[in-house]
Amino acid sequence: MPPFTDDELKAKVHDGYIVESVEEMTEGYRKSLVVQLTVQADTELMSAPAYWMAARHAPSTNTQVSAHAIIQDELAHANIAYRLLEDLGVSKERLVYGREPHEFKHPYGFDQPLDNWAELVVANGFFDRAGITLLSDVYNNTSYGPLKRALVKVDMEETFHLRHGEVWMRRLAKAGGDARAMLQRAVDWMFPMTLEWFGLPDDMKRHSGQLDYKLKGLTNDQLRQVWMQSTVPLCESLDLDVPAHWNEETQSFDLDYPFPCEYDAEDKIWDFAGGEITWDQVFTRWKARGPMNERYVESVRRSRGQVQNWLDSSKAA
Amino acid sequence: MKESVYDVFARKDRGDALQHIGYIDAPDAELARVYAWNTYNEQNWFEMCIVPRAQIIAVNRTDGPFARKEAVS
Ligand SMILES: [Fe+2]
Ligand SMILES: [Fe+2]
Repeated sequence: MPPFTDDELKAKVHDGYIVESVEEMTEGYRKSLVVQLTVQADTELMSAPAYWMAARHAPSTNTQVSAHAIIQDELAHANIAYRLLEDLGVSKERLVYGREPHEFKHPYGFDQPLDNWAELVVANGFFDRAGITLLSDVYNNTSYGPLKRALVKVDMEETFHLRHGEVWMRRLAKAGGDARAMLQRAVDWMFPMTLEWFGLPDDMKRHSGQLDYKLKGLTNDQLRQVWMQSTVPLCESLDLDVPAHWNEETQSFDLDYPFPCEYDAEDKIWDFAGGEITWDQVFTRWKARGPMNERYVESVRRSRGQVQNWLDSSKAA
Repeated sequence: MKESVYDVFARKDRGDALQHIGYIDAPDAELARVYAWNTYNEQNWFEMCIVPRAQIIAVNRTDGPFARKEAVS
């Protein structure tokens, strides 16, 4: 039996109480935390194959090293998040190896192929920025002590991924010509992709356990704005077009396209002309998963069974 | 693969306190050393060491991962 009722725990965490063990959690708290950590772990894990396949496009051995250092970080982040889940009674083994590819909870953006160097560096600039936005909010607000401590390392490294992205975006933008054109094309599909990642707008969002249990502090719309506060000025300073602008009156960013809208994953084009769609339609697209879903999942676990067989057979002999 | 938990402790510089920085799963101590060093590479640690969680003895608490000798499932 947990020492508190659900309402007592909610009040306590808003008073600054830090939860340290699963024994102190109510079932509601534990479930909300499991959902949050599963999304976090799956996102870290699936960023690794996405970045890994894109790292082939690195223009030099030095950049290849940086790209792979980022991938190594992402795998460590995933491992840390799955390990936290294990402490909550969820099997890491089952999560990584026991699910169908479409059951993973990472965002739709990490089901897309990154087809050239510009796309990889914009992924670092946009997706890793989204990761920092989400995880810094968790770091600043979470009531779960072990997660807060684990995020010190993660935030430090995400900042390095982001710098890698921004430095390279600046380089490509300055070079002009084909480099700038490729960069703009990557921005065109990845900017709306990241905005969608933050999820349902606040006026549609059903009651959030993650806010009640203080597992995060900001709402989806607030997080979207935080992401744009860094990303829009970055793009404007590089003369890159993005479909959003600052609104003096509301002191927030407005989107210049129907949100949400349909996406053609084959051609990597958002259908702005097709107008606004419902979030149910977005969830249907997310649930169907993107073009690289199966390949990415298989690529992180394909050799496991084989090595286990060697180990088993040498034991039997 | 049967793995067990190893807790990772490190200090950044001479004079710093040894801190619990995380934990990893590994099939044996040798691999645990390698996994710990590669997983927690965010700093150039002055010192890092690992302890099998099963060897940690809880003194004053009866809850939490150090008191619980087997992972809940
Ligand atoms: Fe990460
Ligand atoms: Fe990252």
